[in-house]
Amino acid sequence: MGFNRRAFIKSAAATSAMASAASLFPGVSFAGWKKLEGATGMISWQKAPCRFCGTGCGVLVGVSGDRAVAVKGDPNCSVNKGLCCVKGYHSVQALYGRDRITKAKVRKKGKMVEVPISEALDLVAAKIKETVARHGKDSVAMYGSGQWTIPDGYVASKLFKGCLGTNNLEANARLCMASAVTGFMTTFGIDEPMGCYEDIEHADVFVTWGNNMAEMHPVLFSRMLAARKRKKDVVIIDFATRSTRSSQAADKSILFKPSTDLAVANAICYEIIRNGWVNESFVKKHTTFHKGKTDIGYGTEDHFAFKDKAEDMSFAEYKKFLGDYTPEKVEKISGVSARDIRYLASLYGDPTKKVTSFWCMGMNQHVRGTWINNLVYNIHLLTGKISTPGNSPFSLTGQPSACGTVREVGTLTHKLPHGVVMNEKDRQMAAKIWEVPLANIDPKPTYHTVEMFRALDRGDIRFMWIQVTNPMVTIPNLNRYRDGALKDDRFIVVSDVYPTPTTDVADVILPAALWIEQEGLFGNSERRTQHFDQIVPPPGEAMSDTWQIIEVARRLGFKKQFPWSEEEYIGKIWAEYRRFHDNPKHNMAPYKVLKERAGVQWPFVDGRETRWRFNPKYDPACKPGTGFDFYGKKDGKAWIWARPYEPAAESPDAEYNFWLNTGRVIEHWHTGSMTRRVPVLHQAMPESYVEINPEDAVDLGVVNGEKVKIISRRGAVTMKASINGRGVPPRGMVFVPFFDEAYLINEVTLDAFCPISKQPDYKKCAVRLEKA
Amino acid sequence: MINADKSLGKVVFGFAALCLAGLLVARSSGAAPDIPRDFDSGGEKIFTRHNETPPAALGGTDGRRTLNTYYALRQYPGSPPRVPHPVPVFFRDENRDCLACHGRGGYDAEQDAYAPVTPHPENENCFQCHVPQRTEMTFGANNWQSVNPPKLGRLQLAGAPPPIPHGLQLREDCLACHAGPAAVAEIRVEHGSRSNCRQCHVPMLSTELPKKFRRPAEEPGQ
Repeated sequence: MGFNRRAFIKSAAATSAMASAASLFPGVSFAGWKKLEGATGMISWQKAPCRFCGTGCGVLVGVSGDRAVAVKGDPNCSVNKGLCCVKGYHSVQALYGRDRITKAKVRKKGKMVEVPISEALDLVAAKIKETVARHGKDSVAMYGSGQWTIPDGYVASKLFKGCLGTNNLEANARLCMASAVTGFMTTFGIDEPMGCYEDIEHADVFVTWGNNMAEMHPVLFSRMLAARKRKKDVVIIDFATRSTRSSQAADKSILFKPSTDLAVANAICYEIIRNGWVNESFVKKHTTFHKGKTDIGYGTEDHFAFKDKAEDMSFAEYKKFLGDYTPEKVEKISGVSARDIRYLASLYGDPTKKVTSFWCMGMNQHVRGTWINNLVYNIHLLTGKISTPGNSPFSLTGQPSACGTVREVGTLTHKLPHGVVMNEKDRQMAAKIWEVPLANIDPKPTYHTVEMFRALDRGDIRFMWIQVTNPMVTIPNLNRYRDGALKDDRFIVVSDVYPTPTTDVADVILPAALWIEQEGLFGNSERRTQHFDQIVPPPGEAMSDTWQIIEVARRLGFKKQFPWSEEEYIGKIWAEYRRFHDNPKHNMAPYKVLKERAGVQWPFVDGRETRWRFNPKYDPACKPGTGFDFYGKKDGKAWIWARPYEPAAESPDAEYNFWLNTGRVIEHWHTGSMTRRVPVLHQAMPESYVEINPEDAVDLGVVNGEKVKIISRRGAVTMKASINGRGVPPRGMVFVPFFDEAYLINEVTLDAFCPISKQPDYKKCAVRLEKA
Repeated sequence: MINADKSLGKVVFGFAALCLAGLLVARSSGAAPDIPRDFDSGGEKIFTRHNETPPAALGGTDGRRTLNTYYALRQYPGSPPRVPHPVPVFFRDENRDCLACHGRGGYDAEQDAYAPVTPHPENENCFQCHVPQRTEMTFGANNWQSVNPPKLGRLQLAGAPPPIPHGLQLREDCLACHAGPAAVAEIRVEHGSRSNCRQCHVPMLSTELPKKFRRPAEEPGQ
């Protein structure tokens, strides 16, 4: 049961000490925090989206003087309706860690030396100029984040793609959302979910695909539990590769072997067709059938290239393709019983039930991430359960502005704020709005994230500016890329708020404003744009990432493109950026509206938000009288894809006989650079661990808390075993949370990726274990 | 201190166990063996019962929860408190969940304490907001400061009902915290039976108004 008697006695002792102190000094309060001196006790509450995940909860930040002192959930925000999670409630404490970076630092003779920020910005600009002159425009790169505010990403795109003329712009959302994007693009021709969180109140069945929502999207998860409680007959199915808190709360937990979700999804479709559960009029009117290349590789080698080729197919051919995926055949591949496969199919197939599917990293961090996204859409398209309240294939995001910044502004090598660099019309639009010559915008994409770090290692890239992310913890196969970043003649600039393993490799560190220390905008998972004011001042010389980029751009001579004043730059940037999306499919709310509300969903047309896209009842961009209009594709029809099961890039074998799966925990957000500075969160989850199945632990001869060495072909990490802890993997798998920089599990992981999305697979590689 | 507490804990725990056992046999067993039975309306039972009931149960409260212990678990007024006792990290038995104790309250022999009642039992994903403490170390120092907890009382007239000094979000259910044996000593009320709390107690929030209220006629230019 894991009761720690000593800790209990200790806490009981502390409590009784408090109690006796209280009786000695009546009226004296022993609250657990330091009192703000000179505070009136009056608090003003100001709205902001939460800093952490992609759910996009509205919070109210309590302010006293110039300090944030409290948080509550914003009851006016439809996302969370006044409830937060433990990270959100303590989020403001992340502003006040004593080791905040408040001054710029520059490497001089091997040592980091504090300098005025203007001097550091001069050096950054000079280095960009020098590197471009010596090695060409594609030798400088910027690597940003789904935590970039929308203005951060917009000015980065404008500087790199519009002014410097290089497509060397990527963001860590490549590691987190790229497969979701290519899934949407290949099936619907347009990015981002058709549904919204309101689906939770309408659905009868929830299937979570490889998605531990109880910890990663806790607010949506508890909203789901509340809906189940209210409606009584709601069913939640946890379809995953290990048992978690989500499994505990679900009505049924179904475990599958890594990567075989592809086979199970096809088997569900097989059963839907066999039982006559296909919504035939929907399929006939609104879908077409296609197949692509197979045996598409894993991208583990430098310069890997892949281009899919779509071919049309008929329904009969698709049905024949599914013949390989009978429940009995798939049971052998996946370990999921034929009975459970039929049960899942019956839930999706039942015409009286509304079904919502949720997924996040399990499906996206997958060497066939695009395919599995396609296959889950297939299920919803075959049954016509899409774009109506409660019928919703819903791809969740992990970062507060993965959608708003990376996907919508397009801070990826092939993207522009509207469309892609390969498309001349899109380039013309960008050149016009940015007031740069058309020739500036290079029509050829350069490097996606993994390849960008490979290019840095090879020397094709010599200068990299990293903002709001911590790649020296998160890049898979980390040893190679850290060595690359540390090579001579590489220049790394890092803008961040705390020291991290990434600032350790920096030549220049720029102090950044954090969250509500600047004005900004985020965009959450459900197409909701959320504005926040500057609520407290940044410490020392810390500066918003947007303003850092503007300062450097001006030093590079691009004053005309970056003309705004510090007082009004966010509003001006928003107005300029909105011009890219001035159409009924993506129109965004004006600045004034965003300032007033706790988030507004796009398309925002004639003063109205769009809850469900592709359905003319709700979406003004649809052709009227169409029933459904999947307008991302020219003919208004969504694509059903025949995608086979293919195994992971590296599966366990005789020598490396365990799967390694990595992920997160509720207390920490990503690499923990913020949440570990929050006492409550660190004290609840002080260090990472390796979850081992109890029977495997017996075989290995380790008990809870003993050290285990996890060894792959790329690296090794030694850490404590967790048996029957937060989660329980099946036999033959271990799971490690990646938040702890003391145990860099990404030195062990593999840099294989989905050939279509280029998103790495952090969930599957082969390791062996040794008792340490 | 720790050792003293440990032995005290054992004593209390043992005593509670004895009492429970005693209660079961109280009806048949007498008090002092050598005195007559059943005189003075059987008044011996009063003393037997008193001896065999845990002190906490006699008072209706153990008085152990005070505002200081209450705020010691919080980071600012209104923050979700930490879980102050050990919990199994992975519940395996549905009856062992948080609401088994914190849903309706009651005496828990293992902790020798009355369980505080949650004001929001409808939120069942408890660890979403409440986390236990597994270490006292911090990752690094933090300059966190917050405002003082609200002062108690603040009545405007002698004998007037005190106002509610905190927001009601997630704390809509007054009786959960202000009544019952686990209520925080300083804010425990004895008149919980009157039910319509806000008949007499109204919110007095420390929310700064965004701007000073003016009557329309006082707006400049009118």
